[in-house]
Amino acid sequence: MKTDDLITMLAQDAAPTPAAPLARRTGYGLAVGFAVALGLFLAVLGPRPGLGGLMLDPVVLAKTLLPLALFALALRLGLRSVRPGRAPGRTAWVIWAVPALTAALFVWAFAVTPAETRMVDFLGHSIPVCLPAINLMSLPILAGLIAALRRGAPVDPQKAGALAGLAAAGLATALYSTFCTEDSPLFYSVWYSVGIAITTALGAVAGSRWLRW
Amino acid sequence: MPDRNDRWDDLLRRAMRGDAAAYAAFLSDIAPVIRGIVRARTRGAEDAEDIVQEVLLAVHAKRHTWREDEPVAPWLYAIARYKAADAGRRRGRQGGHVPLDDVEEVLPDEGGDVTATRDLAVMLDRLDARAARIVRAIGVEGQSARDVGTSLKMSEGAVRVAYHRAMVSLKELAETED
Repeated sequence: MKTDDLITMLAQDAAPTPAAPLARRTGYGLAVGFAVALGLFLAVLGPRPGLGGLMLDPVVLAKTLLPLALFALALRLGLRSVRPGRAPGRTAWVIWAVPALTAALFVWAFAVTPAETRMVDFLGHSIPVCLPAINLMSLPILAGLIAALRRGAPVDPQKAGALAGLAAAGLATALYSTFCTEDSPLFYSVWYSVGIAITTALGAVAGSRWLRW
Repeated sequence: MPDRNDRWDDLLRRAMRGDAAAYAAFLSDIAPVIRGIVRARTRGAEDAEDIVQEVLLAVHAKRHTWREDEPVAPWLYAIARYKAADAGRRRGRQGGHVPLDDVEEVLPDEGGDVTATRDLAVMLDRLDARAARIVRAIGVEGQSARDVGTSLKMSEGAVRVAYHRAMVSLKELAETED
């Protein structure tokens, strides 16, 4: 086919496209994915007793708020990454505040925890629950996000998938943190991060597989 | 070029509201620019025009990812670069093979169909010896123009021209026999 013929053909198809379908679809995908994750959470784990009061402690609050911030920032970057030619902007810098604060919390906890209990706090008692739970609850959210982002046009599908994984893991981890009773940053700053890293890697693989166009 | 950017923004904005004429103008306007990007990125690949068409199709399919408050040019260039790189990767994987569907569309125009309908050996006898040898080497044995050129002490370009002329002659021969 000649390029001019193609142009003529495409031009006849100039019907208006719905405004902002990408953001709305991402909202739907996220809502469905989160509903599944929440269902899983309530069915198997559920919030810990006395959650409201415990949240007054900033160190306990941080284990929910940090992943939540990660979710919001990664989602913003993910949405930008599927619009060709759009710079990630300041968010690409701001998001590094989350791992920086996490590392700072770890150092602080290391300093204030007596040497003999450091190892006990670090290993905790729930690693075999924590890691699978974070990843399993991330999966429906990641699926919803990937499905929505397929409408977009990521020039780096792997990176877009990784950002979707990061956002999904952030939300799932925030949810999980309301069940988890390990309140030392020596535990959660490490093991939550490991869980998030696994889902992010999974998102990168999913992106290079399903976000090509 | 601020003029061109403003024009593109305006044309695509109107196209997104259903203005087919503006859309045709936009696509015709960007096609040569895309061609330039694709050629530069693929180092003059033979299927550059296919990639140009792929970019145009991608622009069409993904036009909702452009936001009206942003300039068209960076968006367009990013799509063209992605598609050119993607085509390069695919070509690398396939080792230069072209899917058969694509060839079928091209072959009749090139006179390639004579090999399917005629006894090629008989017709090749009517060409001069050198032209027949070039057609056999390239068309039948699948050698490259460069290799044929080396064995015949001809330049690659001269081989291509001779091959093309021979195919035209074969087509004429085939038609006069009908």
